[in-house]
Amino acid sequence: MTFLKEKIFDIKTSPIDSVEVKNALTQVSEREFPQRKTEDWRYAKLGKILNKNYQFDANEVTDISDFLIPDLEVDLVVLVNGFYNEQFSKIKSQNGVTILPIEKASQLETFKNHFNVLAKESQEIFTSINTAYNQGGVFVWVDKNTQVEKPIYILNINAGNGVISNARNLIVVEQSSELKVIQRYVTQNGTENFNNALTEVFVKQNAKVTIEKIQDFSEFDRQVCTEEIHQEKDSNFVINTFTLSGGFIRNGLNIKVDGTNCYSEMNGLFIGKGEQFIDNHTRIDHLKSNCISSELYKGILKDNATGVFNGKVIVHKDAQVIEAYQQNKNVLLSDTASMNTKPELEIFADDVKCSHGTTTGQFDEEAIFYLQARGISKNAAKEMLIGAFANEVIEKISVDAVRDFMMSKLT
Amino acid sequence: MSKTIINIKNLHASVDGKAILKGINLEVKAGEVHAIMGPNGSGKSTLSSVLAGREEFEVTDGEVDYLGLDLLELEPEERAWEGLFLAFQYPVEIPGVSNMNFLKTALAEKAKHKGLEPVSSKDFLKLVKEKSQLVELSDKLKNRSVNEGFSGGEKKRNEIFQMAMLEPTLSILDETDSGLDIDALRIVAHGVNTLKTSENASIVITHYQRLLDYIVPDFVHVLHDGKIIKTGDKTLALELEERGYDWLVKDLV
Repeated sequence: MTFLKEKIFDIKTSPIDSVEVKNALTQVSEREFPQRKTEDWRYAKLGKILNKNYQFDANEVTDISDFLIPDLEVDLVVLVNGFYNEQFSKIKSQNGVTILPIEKASQLETFKNHFNVLAKESQEIFTSINTAYNQGGVFVWVDKNTQVEKPIYILNINAGNGVISNARNLIVVEQSSELKVIQRYVTQNGTENFNNALTEVFVKQNAKVTIEKIQDFSEFDRQVCTEEIHQEKDSNFVINTFTLSGGFIRNGLNIKVDGTNCYSEMNGLFIGKGEQFIDNHTRIDHLKSNCISSELYKGILKDNATGVFNGKVIVHKDAQVIEAYQQNKNVLLSDTASMNTKPELEIFADDVKCSHGTTTGQFDEEAIFYLQARGISKNAAKEMLIGAFANEVIEKISVDAVRDFMMSKLT
Repeated sequence: MSKTIINIKNLHASVDGKAILKGINLEVKAGEVHAIMGPNGSGKSTLSSVLAGREEFEVTDGEVDYLGLDLLELEPEERAWEGLFLAFQYPVEIPGVSNMNFLKTALAEKAKHKGLEPVSSKDFLKLVKEKSQLVELSDKLKNRSVNEGFSGGEKKRNEIFQMAMLEPTLSILDETDSGLDIDALRIVAHGVNTLKTSENASIVITHYQRLLDYIVPDFVHVLHDGKIIKTGDKTLALELEERGYDWLVKDLV
């Protein structure tokens, strides 16, 4: 039995032989779980996650066909309860691309030079738990000057009941290379699982990385999902996060823009219903000059769902000529849904152009009446407005088949 | 004898408990254009809202027969399917919903209700081309989100374009002339006049006589304090332009 609250982990430690794992084990024992008064976690009712016995399970899956994306050729990596699944992963060699289970990669120089470099800066106990107790995950390494043709599809499956998993991924994209990743999180026949996944991404000089992230768990699954990103000069990084289902979802997205002339984009669309809780925390650190970042998160909340958006933009002292844009727009479709939003800009440089805005409201009754007056029924009018609202984010997906897939999921 | 399109009898309506319409009687027959004039606050826009089915207004008394149907029992979309059209005083901007997709859906829902096949993409485009020329609406505007970023005049032309696409039996033009310069006014009026047949009818709600130079009414009604206090022909509008409303109101007392 695993009691998170008591920090009793009777599960195996990470298969990676590294001092980082040992340090993380110490951190886990020293760190506390966030309390209600911990500002960054104040809306998250962590009791749901912590006060439960979790088991550690390598539950096998028998069929993954439900989770494939139509009309899309990919290198497929399947992780089941955090374990790399050899049976369903399908990787054809692409020039310049190395894809390996992390335990097999752990002795490679590139792996050793990057593993936990970003995550160890974090103060979060969930990050330490992931580093100390991950079951596996995938290492993706793209060599210099490589335009990776097929996207890499990392399919994370929760299988079983009350299973805890800590998938750990490391993506390193070398100079002047380009990679597209689809990260999807699903549940197969299970409930009340806790998925604590973490992905580190290094975007080297003049490289371009795009991540399409889709969270599509069963109704009562929980997840703390973290991405730690590092950008070198002239690089381009885009992540689009779609949260469609799951009981408790906490996303932590941290980008360090550590080079000049970078472009960073973070977009999100979350749809909450029932008793769902969806929390998006993002942070971008502009450390160097002449960069642009853009962020758009949109939420649609029904029933008793709760949403949280906290977006930090930090422009450090020596980062001049920065343009940073942030927007969060939400629609509440019931009187009992709620949204807590907090944009935070901290600017220590002087030559900076920043904007942020947030709106939370209901659908414009006047627009619904206008559509009705033209012969579109009330429900169809609402659907039309939801579609229009969501579209702005869906249109940002860079892989056509994924965009079509998301459209079909929402209509 | 032309058939009656709409027959409003003793219509009373209130909003937030405040009575606005206090007994409207109005019969409109096929082929007719009725102008409703009146000072601000007389209930002109309330009348159009009640006829189109806006929820905030509560009908407290009276009845409205529309083509043999009890209009007040119908949802706004059902009224549209039956051929009632309201050209909005303030057309709504709907970001993310394309003008074309919106019209196509509107036509498809109406066809479905009438038990007809939806219009084919080819015929739809043909229809769009033909009808948009009527109000000189450019392709650029047609392909944008509904009314988004349109000027005041473009929004009103878009209303008449939609009217042309939906071919209504009864059109209610709510202050369609407000905010229009003379060129836009001419274009809008030309659209309305071209769409006029012996089978349909219009109610033109306006503040000023100006629009009625271009859309010539068969009847002019003066609305005051929720009632029609005078009815005449087009010369009444000219008289109102000259003398204002006060003389009529004084007569009441």
